[in-house]
Amino acid sequence: MPQRIVDRRGFLKDVGVAGAALAMGPLLTACEPEGGGGGGAGGDGPIRIGGMWLLSGALSAYGEFAREGANMAVEELNDDGGVLGREVEMLFEHEGDAESVLQVTRRLALEENVDFLMGLDSSGTAQALVPAIPELGKVLMVTHAASNEITGELCNRYVFRCSVNVPQNCYLGAQLAAEEYPDLQTWGTIGPDYAFGYETWEFFSRYLQERNLEVSVIDPIYPPFPNEDFSSHINQALDARPDGLFVSLWGADLVNFVRQAQDFGLFDQITPIFQLGAAMEVLEGLGNEMPTGYWAGTRYWWDGIDSETNQRFVDAFRERYDHPPSYNAQCAYTGVMLLAAAAEEAGTTEADPVIDALEGIEFDAPQGPTVIRAEDHQALVEPTWGKLADSPDEDFMILDPVVHAPADEATPPVGETNCEME
Amino acid sequence: MSTSSFVIHLLNAISFAMLLFLVSVGLNLIFGVLGVINFAHGALYMVGAYAAFQVAGAWDVPFGVALVVAPLAVAVIGTVIEVLFLRRIYARDIAVQLLMTFAFVLILDDLVRLIWGTGIKATPRPELLSGAVSIFGREYPIYGLFIIVLGPLVAAALWYFIERTSFGQRVRAASTDRHMASALGVNVPVLFSAVFALGSLLAGLGGTLAAPLRSATPSMGENIIILTFIVVVVGGLGSFPGALTGALMLGLLNEFAPLLVPRSEMAVAYALMAIVLLIRPRGLFPSPALTT
Amino acid sequence: MKARERTAARPVDTRPVRLEGRRQKWTARARTLAWLLLVAALAVAPFVAGSYRTLLLTEILIFGLFASSFNLLFGYTGLLSFGHAAYFAGGAYASALIMVEAELPLPAGILAGLVGGALLAALFGVFCVRVNEIYFSLLTLAFGMLVYTVVFQAREVTGGSDGFNLYELGSVSVAGRELLLGHPQVFYFVTLVTVVLGVALLERVGSSPFGQVLRAIRENSERVDFLGIPVRRYRYKAFVIAGAMAGLAGGLIAPFLRVAHPQMSHWTTSAEVVLGTILGGEALFLGPAVGTGVLIWLESLVTGRTVYWPLVMGVILLVLVLFLPGGILGTLTRTYRRVRGSGR
Repeated sequence: MPQRIVDRRGFLKDVGVAGAALAMGPLLTACEPEGGGGGGAGGDGPIRIGGMWLLSGALSAYGEFAREGANMAVEELNDDGGVLGREVEMLFEHEGDAESVLQVTRRLALEENVDFLMGLDSSGTAQALVPAIPELGKVLMVTHAASNEITGELCNRYVFRCSVNVPQNCYLGAQLAAEEYPDLQTWGTIGPDYAFGYETWEFFSRYLQERNLEVSVIDPIYPPFPNEDFSSHINQALDARPDGLFVSLWGADLVNFVRQAQDFGLFDQITPIFQLGAAMEVLEGLGNEMPTGYWAGTRYWWDGIDSETNQRFVDAFRERYDHPPSYNAQCAYTGVMLLAAAAEEAGTTEADPVIDALEGIEFDAPQGPTVIRAEDHQALVEPTWGKLADSPDEDFMILDPVVHAPADEATPPVGETNCEME
Repeated sequence: MSTSSFVIHLLNAISFAMLLFLVSVGLNLIFGVLGVINFAHGALYMVGAYAAFQVAGAWDVPFGVALVVAPLAVAVIGTVIEVLFLRRIYARDIAVQLLMTFAFVLILDDLVRLIWGTGIKATPRPELLSGAVSIFGREYPIYGLFIIVLGPLVAAALWYFIERTSFGQRVRAASTDRHMASALGVNVPVLFSAVFALGSLLAGLGGTLAAPLRSATPSMGENIIILTFIVVVVGGLGSFPGALTGALMLGLLNEFAPLLVPRSEMAVAYALMAIVLLIRPRGLFPSPALTT
Repeated sequence: MKARERTAARPVDTRPVRLEGRRQKWTARARTLAWLLLVAALAVAPFVAGSYRTLLLTEILIFGLFASSFNLLFGYTGLLSFGHAAYFAGGAYASALIMVEAELPLPAGILAGLVGGALLAALFGVFCVRVNEIYFSLLTLAFGMLVYTVVFQAREVTGGSDGFNLYELGSVSVAGRELLLGHPQVFYFVTLVTVVLGVALLERVGSSPFGQVLRAIRENSERVDFLGIPVRRYRYKAFVIAGAMAGLAGGLIAPFLRVAHPQMSHWTTSAEVVLGTILGGEALFLGPAVGTGVLIWLESLVTGRTVYWPLVMGVILLVLVLFLPGGILGTLTRTYRRVRGSGR
């Protein structure tokens, strides 16, 4: 290797080469028309939607389901003549984490010139991104990240959510805990060590104590997220020995936790309820190792909505992908459809008219009738829980029975969400 | 803390330590002989977990078969990496070696994704080893005890292999002075391949054993490699007793530190690594060459 | 820039030192001119490029400074740090804290980044410079990950894995016009000025007698020690300067991404600059910045098209290690020299 850092005689060309590579690299493509291959906002080319989900890493099972759902929606729209007579095109990016999500979004918004943004699996990532959306001037439809803050404290005119959020999910969870297990007097939680874990426990324990005044709670257990080995935390729970355990772990963490907990006989001694246990990603991963007879929540259950729309959606999805849609697939599908419906109504893909169209929109989604509340942009949709049960037809556990709660009861009123739209 | 609770936590710690030991000792073997710090060791552990899933999960063959097949498959992959790529850069800087093994972390992570997809892959527990035994009124999984027993057995087998066989003798010779060994008629390139294969086999064995406990995901190697680094640094690079001691220390820390101060386990582990590097840079069991 | 004579301590480099005064003067001028051209090109860039490319270039500049600071340790002093991201993150959190908690404006935040990185490096440097070679790499890794776990877990202060968000950068009044600091072009120029100052400082340090000693330490630290030069003190100073400049880069990255995040201190972030440096070539002053810039640029091209970016990256790295020792710039320079040499 050369022995020197800077060779004075060779410096000129070093700087020259460096300058060219450094400065010109990103500029080499600058002569292309903005928006690359697409027409972009307002043009005649395809309508472009930029989708960001966890497409890489330990939780990428969720992102893949979302991709499947979004792709199916786009294909259905295009088979139907597109939106506003234009073809719809879907772009996918890995959302990364709170550090990288803004650059990913900027690329989609400013380089790919998408008309709409959608997706986001992680609440932490969503919380970092949501406040920066207005300066990009694009509509963002959140399809999974459930933190209350997204349509609460951090809400803004450009951000919508079409999926069940934390308070809605916890409302029904707490109702079930109070009604099904009136004798369980002390509750604990084991949840991921970030915004989502804290928020779910805050809502669940509050709702539960409002329903059952006798209930007391113990110190929460928050393993790091992500985590593989839960034996220590399982034994912390066994040491503390509450009657009931609210489990808000999700993804691969939940799979690992459930398997390890059964090794230690945790569920024989403490009754669990699983906040997101009925995610297809988890049920497929666990197969027959998922214990039955316990309550599990989800954002949508494919066999839980008795409507023509849902039946058609589930049949087409199974036909196409050979497994039933997860809630994440449904939410991505619904998100695309909502954006398309709003664009049709607005007669354009321009942000402002589309926002006006989205506010208060009523939509017949696979997850049931969905209304986007104008004041905070949160979807009013019925949360879903069910009892884990064995099924002769499937090689994973299903929900039977499935229960819902009315959307207007489960959703905190606008006055309590801390959302102040400008 | 009650006695029963303490014993359960202790068993947890030892079980985790044994898993760590198996992976670490493989890393140590490779470093001790080849002088390479293999960043991709964690990725090989991950491949072991996926291979175990393939055999015992997807093909539904008994877990005992996976316990043999999966580590061997990883050993083959390790050999390919060593023969085709790593061998070319032994003469180069240590930074270059780190970079190449890092390249294999990236490549293996994505190859696993290409082959097995993104789903969460849970390997079913072997029939014989499922269930739990009662210890002081608390239940403890048999599979955890199995790992606790298996760790020392593998350690003993390795010790015998290195100390008592002629192959082991050549390995020790090469780790002390590869040029001298070569001059004495040891085929050093073949020996290096064999050692890298054996190290990979141990990583694969760790992954296989972890598969029924932890679901396989494309990034599971990133976590274990850092833990393994801590173990070998604390114990001493190239030292087998060091790997055992380091693994036990880390296992105990991991289990008990968060009981005292929540969320403190990793901070304490890194602090331990830093302190050992400062006070005894060559670890608790410093060795000029491979020691068993 | 005045030509300076090479002083003392280059024990290994046996090439004849050329001291042709006029020629030296000429190259010094050419070199200044080249720098000015580069800066001028960078200053014009945002007017030619679109918003996103300006943002991409901002990111490249920030990581270019980060990589250059890393190379003061690696390329100059021969110390391969695997925890340099700790000081980058230290700067990021310092600037976020100053801007959000103390509500001070952006320049104060950027300066806080420099101070934060320097303080952290001054603390850990005391220990790190005591050990050599692989043990230095491992110790910096340990401290880097220690910082990571602390910011990850001190959620009350740092926001943990959700990150420490800073949403508003405010605005600045220039000639009666209100400029939003969050605007891509405006922030680009803030970045450009900061990075040029930081890189210029690193260059001055590197080409000063102090830098010459560092290079001598890289070549043969025992011999330098034997000459009576306090090796550890030189290493320590280099460590702190490198940490300060990484912190300065961190002071830019937090307002740029609107978040200070534990990932910024993770070993994979450290690995990014190591990769970029080796890719560009550590033996040339701008090699690390160019290599890191190329990586970021490639990533932005590839990730929109495939989720298998790590695989692409891994293969590039493998090819590079096997076939391009010395990195892109190093190989280009060497090829150029060979071609020119054979032409004579």
